Amino acid sequence: MKTIEEINQKIKDGNAVVVTAAEMTRIVRETGAKEAAKEVDVVTTGTFGAMCSSGAFLNFGHSDPPIKMAHTYINGVEAYSGLAAVDAYLGATQPHRDPKIGIKYGGAHLLEDLVRGKEVELVAEAYGTDCYPLQNIHTHFKLEDLNQAIMINPRNSYQNYAAATNSSEETLYTYLGTLLPKMGNVTYSSAGELSPLLNDPYFKTMGLGTRIFLCGAQGYILGEGTQHNTEVERENGVPVGSAGTLMLKGDLKKMDPEYLRGATMPEYGPTLYVGAGVPIPILNEEIAQHTGISDQDIGCRIMDYGVPRRSRPAILETNYHQLRSGSVEIDGTKIQTSPMSSYRKALQVAEELKNWIEKGEFFLTRPVELIPSHGQTVKPLQIKRPSILVKDLKTKAIITATAQDNLSDVARLMVDNNINHLPVIDKEGKLMGIVTSWDIAQAVAKEVQELTHIMTKKVIVAMEDEPVEVIARRIDKYEISGVPIVDRDNLVKGMITAEDLSRLVCSRDDKRGESL
Amino acid sequence: MKAWLNFSPEIVNKAVISNLMKNFDVSFNIMNANITPKGGKMLIEISGEEAQEGINYLENQGVHLTPVKRVVKKDNDKCVDCGACLSLCPVEAITIDEEWKVELDDQKCIGCGFCTSSCPTKAIKLAD
Ligand code: SF4
Ligand code: SF4
Repeated sequence: MKTIEEINQKIKDGNAVVVTAAEMTRIVRETGAKEAAKEVDVVTTGTFGAMCSSGAFLNFGHSDPPIKMAHTYINGVEAYSGLAAVDAYLGATQPHRDPKIGIKYGGAHLLEDLVRGKEVELVAEAYGTDCYPLQNIHTHFKLEDLNQAIMINPRNSYQNYAAATNSSEETLYTYLGTLLPKMGNVTYSSAGELSPLLNDPYFKTMGLGTRIFLCGAQGYILGEGTQHNTEVERENGVPVGSAGTLMLKGDLKKMDPEYLRGATMPEYGPTLYVGAGVPIPILNEEIAQHTGISDQDIGCRIMDYGVPRRSRPAILETNYHQLRSGSVEIDGTKIQTSPMSSYRKALQVAEELKNWIEKGEFFLTRPVELIPSHGQTVKPLQIKRPSILVKDLKTKAIITATAQDNLSDVARLMVDNNINHLPVIDKEGKLMGIVTSWDIAQAVAKEVQELTHIMTKKVIVAMEDEPVEVIARRIDKYEISGVPIVDRDNLVKGMITAEDLSRLVCSRDDKRGESL
Repeated sequence: MKAWLNFSPEIVNKAVISNLMKNFDVSFNIMNANITPKGGKMLIEISGEEAQEGINYLENQGVHLTPVKRVVKKDNDKCVDCGACLSLCPVEAITIDEEWKVELDDQKCIGCGFCTSSCPTKAIKLAD
């Protein structure tokens, strides 16, 4: 058993034993977790992958006269400025405002340009207030000119992530890269045994305040990231799919373009390659055991992105050792794999972090609050569709009978128009009742002449402003085939039939299938 | 030379390739082929004494020939060794070495362009 304070003392004294997660895998395999826990003080992890959920808060400082920026464009990329006067959040995936440039140059590319020290163009628009009279700004700046440029990434370092293939007939362009048709390739994204959250799968050491490596600078973990999920399937103690995530913070001004790159996933959008590494203090045998995980022990499912739904079918269960070998076998066919995240850079991150600690430039911190390790799930978004109202429907031109009409005329009217229901109205057009072809047949048989005698007077109706779902249920409940539509004054506006409704429901369901 | 042969539907069933091999002193290497009864494409490398005569023969038979001059160049400063391009190359010209560095062999490359359009950092460019 060790404490963080003891480890920090060793770092200060220059005799802390620091190894990368890849080296630790070997050490635990060779000496066992117990020995490894005694020997090793810190394990450094690393990852370098496309992390869309990244961005930075920028503060431009006040101009003279001052402006309260409402829309802010930097090199043509909009930064969200619904904040205080001269603050903005620049998101990595924001495309260029000019559709001709679009995803070729987005927030991620701009972040890289800023870190490279390039001068960028700032255009801001405002509505003007008494205290912020200026309405337009057009100027240039560099990263060093900003007061603050704080990277805050709401969701980085996925614990694990499914691999992708594509069974369809067409090439797909996804956030996991280009997927060739007919399972022409497989792409995956995790750094496997080097990945931070796979080395601390139950979050025993990480949390708010953990100091980390972020894009070449010292940064911090702010807590769990968005979509953090703890209730997941595990194999060998680690999740087999996406699970935990981290929210990270760092100072953009201190970052190194070597570990931060703007990129564009073809036909998908801009994304930021982020290099992140978390040091894991080896406080006890259990933590040592966890950091000993190897690519072979980390499971990964290959999902079929040819199925465009949230839940995609799994094609194959494999592991990172197999994926990293360059190919997998699916149904007897060898299929090449692409990593998507750079293992070389991930190693570089882990090595660099190790180097910092060995040189006594980087000390460990005790988190104020650990990342939650249970009770967190990810809820899907339910698409709540706005209801269609009865008055929005296109119904057939209305045919009605009046109380005085002759029975045989009414019968002909129904036959000619191929309808089974006929609302009966008074002189003002208000609904009195309804007759069906069955009523007419009965009337003829019984030689009744008056329409008002045979019509049903207690009519089930649809009000114009009721949702169609409600009417469908009503029609169902009374086992009738249609109802007249009336307005608030009981004036007849049309007919709605079970057939109209079923057509409507079908067409809506089709649309839903496409848009998910 | 390396070239794409474009077969129209009418000549797919003719024995042009075997006649070429029989009647001309050429060595002929098929690097990639995608031919259906509706026509198709074949990537070949043709060399030997009578290479030019062989090419003329193919053109006379109605096979359209597009020479491949293009090769690709990878800018190693831009490349982040992500490996996205690895599984896209039809001729395995892109490999990853022991240090996990992505390497591109322009001798093997057939200039198909799959990798250039799919590289997230635009590190690979077609060069003439
Ligand atoms: S896809 Fe581009 S960045 Fe990635 S390894 Fe290939 S050349 Fe390098
Ligand atoms: S262009 Fe790229 S994908 Fe095509 S053969 Fe050359 S290296 Fe391979």
